[in-house]
Amino acid sequence: MEVLSFSANALCLLSIIAVAFPFLSFLTIMLGRKSPGSAISIFNTSISFISSILVFISVWNGEPVQQQVEWFSIGSNVFSAGILLNNLSVLMMVLVSGISVLVHIYSISYMKGDINIHKYWAYLGLFCFSMMGLVVSDSLLLIYMFWELVGFSSYLLIGFWFTKDAASQAAKKAFIMNRIGDIGFLTGLMIIYSQFGTFDIVKLFGSGGMIDSASIVDGIWISASTEMPVIWLTIAGIAFFMGAMAKSAQFPLHTWLPDAMEGPTSVSALIHAATMVAAGVFLLGRIYPLFDSVALNIITIIGVLTAFIAATIALTQNDIKRILAYSTISQLGFIIAAMGIGAYGESIFHLATHAFFKCLLFLAAGAVIHQLHHHKEQHNMEFDHQDIRMMGGLRKQMPVTFIAMCIAAAALAGLPFTSGFLSKDAILITSFEWAEGYHGFKKLVPYILTLTSWLTVFYIARLIFKVFFGKSRYTDLHEAPTSMTRILMILSFGSLFILFSFNPLSYDGSWILKGFAGAGVKGFDRLHLFIPAIVTVISLAIIFIAYKVYGGRAVQTFPEKGLLYRFSNRAWYFDSLYDFLFVRSTTALSRLSYKFDKLVVDGLVNLLATLTNIISEVADWFDRNIVDGLVNGLATLARKTGDFARQFQSGKLQHYLLTMLTLVVTFFILTYFI
Amino acid sequence: MIPLSHFMLISAALFCIGLYAVLTKRNAIQVLIGIEFMINAAILNFVAFGRFDRIAGGGQMFALFAIVLAAAGVAVALAIILNVYKHFRTINPDKIDTLKD
Repeated sequence: MEVLSFSANALCLLSIIAVAFPFLSFLTIMLGRKSPGSAISIFNTSISFISSILVFISVWNGEPVQQQVEWFSIGSNVFSAGILLNNLSVLMMVLVSGISVLVHIYSISYMKGDINIHKYWAYLGLFCFSMMGLVVSDSLLLIYMFWELVGFSSYLLIGFWFTKDAASQAAKKAFIMNRIGDIGFLTGLMIIYSQFGTFDIVKLFGSGGMIDSASIVDGIWISASTEMPVIWLTIAGIAFFMGAMAKSAQFPLHTWLPDAMEGPTSVSALIHAATMVAAGVFLLGRIYPLFDSVALNIITIIGVLTAFIAATIALTQNDIKRILAYSTISQLGFIIAAMGIGAYGESIFHLATHAFFKCLLFLAAGAVIHQLHHHKEQHNMEFDHQDIRMMGGLRKQMPVTFIAMCIAAAALAGLPFTSGFLSKDAILITSFEWAEGYHGFKKLVPYILTLTSWLTVFYIARLIFKVFFGKSRYTDLHEAPTSMTRILMILSFGSLFILFSFNPLSYDGSWILKGFAGAGVKGFDRLHLFIPAIVTVISLAIIFIAYKVYGGRAVQTFPEKGLLYRFSNRAWYFDSLYDFLFVRSTTALSRLSYKFDKLVVDGLVNLLATLTNIISEVADWFDRNIVDGLVNGLATLARKTGDFARQFQSGKLQHYLLTMLTLVVTFFILTYFI
Repeated sequence: MIPLSHFMLISAALFCIGLYAVLTKRNAIQVLIGIEFMINAAILNFVAFGRFDRIAGGGQMFALFAIVLAAAGVAVALAIILNVYKHFRTINPDKIDTLKD
C-alpha cells in the first residue's frame, strides 16, 4: 500500500483520466472515419479501469480527497467544480469501470456484424464518461449535468436498434420517465440552493457541514444565512428521491426498465442492471444526511413496495430479459428500502454484489439469446428467441453458460457461499433489528422483504429450470464463443463470497461494510443465527418445488390463467393504467382543445374573415362601378364624341361636299327662318 | 315678256340637278358634268339679270367670261381626273379617300 500512495494532485489527475478516457473514445469514433472502434474503446476503458483501481487503492478507508476550481460566477455567487473521492465514489468508480471493461470485451462477440457498430462503441464511451463523471463530481450541479447525460446516453443505447419500432418507443418511454424524475432532482437543487447558497457536497453534507449545523426550531428550518418552514426539508428529500426513483426504476416510475430491454443485451447488462440504475442509489448515498424521518419512511415504503410488486410480476413473465429486468427492479427496491431503514452500508454492499451477479445473469442470458438467434437464422426458423418457453434442455449444450447462470441465480436467490447471501442477509437482518423499535406498518417491512426474497428464489429457479432443464428442442446448438464465456467465468468468480468476505456465512467480515462508517453490527445473535438459517432452508424448499413444477416439463401444473396470473403477467396493469390515466386523458384533452380550437377560435376567425370578405365585396363593387364608372364614363364620352367627329373626315370628296352643303343649308335656315 | 322668276326657277332647278349629280355620282366624269350644270345655272342667271340691267350688255359680258373660265376649268379637271386614274386605277370618288390625314 505504501508504494501505491499518491498525492492528492496525482489522485485527481488519475480520476480525471478515468473519467475522460471513455469520452475520448466517444469523440474519436464520432469524429473519425467509419472504423469499428472496438480496439480504441476497449483500450480507453481499460485505462479508465486501471486508474480507477489505483485511485481506489489509495483512497479506500483513507482521507477523502477533494479538489476544486472556480467554474463560473453569477454576481457574487461563485460556483465551483471539482472532484470528491471518498469511499463511496471510489467503490462506484471501480464497479462502473470494471463492469464496463467486461461488457466491452463481451460486446465484441455479441455485437459482431452489426452495421452501426461504431455508433455502439461511441455511445458506450459516452455512457461510461457520464457515469464516471457522475460518481466523482463534488457538486450537486455537476452531478445533475452528468445525471442528464447518463439518461441521454441510455436513451441512445436503448434505441440502438432504432429501426425496430418497439426499440424507439422504449427509448422514448425511458427518456420521458427519467425526465419526470429529473424535475424532482431540479426541485431539490433549487430548495438546497435557496437555503444554503452552495452546491458543494462536502460543505453541505460533510460531517459538521451545513445540513448538520442547520437546526429546526418550532417548525422553522434555520441555516446559517436563511430559514424556511421545515416542510421544505421534507420536500427537498422527497424531490431528490423522486430523481432517484426514476433512475433506479422505483414504483411508480419503474415501467421504463422492462421496456428498455429492447436494447442490446450487453447494454442491458451494463446500464440497466449494474451501473445506471445504481445512480439513483448513489445519489441517495451522496445526500443521505438530508433526509428526515418522513422522507426516510417514504423511501422505505417505496422500496419495499417496489421489491414486492416487481417480484410478483417476475413470477409469470416469459421473456427471459423481462424476468431479469423485473428482478433488477425488485433488487433495487431492496437496496432503496435498505437506505430507507438506515442500513446505508448494507445498501451499498448489496448494490456492489448485485452489480456483479445481475450483470452475469444478463450476459449469460445474452449468450443464450445470441446462440438461439444464430440457430434460428441458420435454420430459417421462426420463433421468439427470448421466450423461455422456446428454450429448455440447454444444460448439456451450453455447459459453461449453465454453470455461470446457476452461480448468478444462487447469488440472486441468496444461497450460502455466494455474494448475494451476504448482502441480502445483511439487509434482512438489519431490517428485523430496525423493526424491533417500531410499531404499526413498520413491523411489516422485514416480513415483506423476506417474502419477496422467497418470491425471488421461485422466479429465478423457474427461469433456470425452464431454460436449462428438460429436453432440448434444438439438435445442433453450441456453446457461446470463448470470448463471451471467459467474461462469464470472471463474473462468476465475482459473484462468489470470496471477493467480498473471507467468511462465507457471515457478512460481519465484509470489507465493504467496514468501509462505511456507522454500519457496525449491533448484536442480536439470535437474529444472526436464525434468519439466515430459516431463509435458506425455505429457499431450498422453494427451489425443490420449482424443480417439481418446471424441471420435468412433463405437465404444466402452474395455472397459466386466472385472475392472479393475468394480474402478474400484465405487470399489475401499470402500463394500461398509465396509458389510461396520462396518455388517454392527454389525448382526450387535446382532442377537446382541438374541438374548441376548431369551433370557437377558428369559428371566430372564420366569421371575421367572412365579414371582411363581405365588406371588401361591397368596396369592390363601389370601386368598380362608381369610381371606375366615373372615369370610364368620361373616357367613353370622349371616345363617342371622337367617333362621331371622325365620321366627318372620311377622306371622300363627296362626303365633304355633303357636309359643307348641310352646314350652309343649316346656317341659311337658321338665319332666315328662325 | 317672260318674267325674271321663270329664269330663276329654271336656274335653281339646274343648280339642284348639278348638285345632286356632284354628290351622288360614282364616276368622276359625271361629277364633272354636275359641276358644268351648276356653272351653267349661274351663267343663266347672269344673262337673265343682264336683260333687266341699266348698263346694256354687262351681264352677257360676265356670261362670256364665265363660259371661258368653265371651259378652262373643265380642261384642268379632266387632266386631274386622268392623273387620278393613273394613280388610283379608278375614277370612282367613293374609292378615293386619301384626303383625310
